[in-house]
Amino acid sequence: MTDQIPAAARPAELIQRLESEGDAAADFLEELLDIVDLDGDIDLDIEGDRATVSVVGGDLLQLVGDGGRVLDALQELTRLAVLQETGERSRLMLDVAGHRAQRRTELAKQAGEAVERVRVSGEPVRMSPMNPFERKVVHDTVAAASLRSESEGAEPQRRVVVLPGT
Amino acid sequence: MLAEALEHVVRAIVEHPDDVDVQTKELRRGRLLEVRVHPDDLGRVIGRSGRTATAIRTVIGAVAGAGGARIDFVDVDRRR
Repeated sequence: MTDQIPAAARPAELIQRLESEGDAAADFLEELLDIVDLDGDIDLDIEGDRATVSVVGGDLLQLVGDGGRVLDALQELTRLAVLQETGERSRLMLDVAGHRAQRRTELAKQAGEAVERVRVSGEPVRMSPMNPFERKVVHDTVAAASLRSESEGAEPQRRVVVLPGT
Repeated sequence: MLAEALEHVVRAIVEHPDDVDVQTKELRRGRLLEVRVHPDDLGRVIGRSGRTATAIRTVIGAVAGAGGARIDFVDVDRRR
């Protein structure tokens, strides 16, 4: 993504904090997977100023749920577990079975199409309602195309509007 | 397994993990998981507008399989 901060520009303290967030999240998730008898490996990374935690492997779709509903709930609980463990409010991003990665690719494509429509028509384009993660992907794609976007409406109907150039 | 998973999740997010207790009850209408937490933690497991309780129900429901499970949160001062 275009908003990534190069590794060298990140203060060591931030990296250390994000790494301990990832470790706390991994501990919480590994034990949960073990209890419910699901096989999954946990990959930790840092993307921009967030820790990312990906559970990969086997048959994990029940932890994704329709439209990522279970994944969002699990992310929420993982963040709370990290808060309890580290005392820091975490914005970590959880992915399971590559769901968010795949969704991100689809959304970037949809956003690219919306950008084209706005450029051709000069009219704003309203996208479908999306969750905060999805809206961020769209906003980033639009910004990378040098157009502006804003969100309107209330959750869960909140949506991105792509605006014509200034 | 389900009670253990629920206990793990709740213990991870509260201030007083040792006060967490989960009881499974088989009712005519299905399984009920009753979670007791320290009174100071009740707000924490329920969350703003019930957001945390909903997340717990969603995740546990997803691994519960057929029939699902109802989850009640009770603070330790009550129903003793």
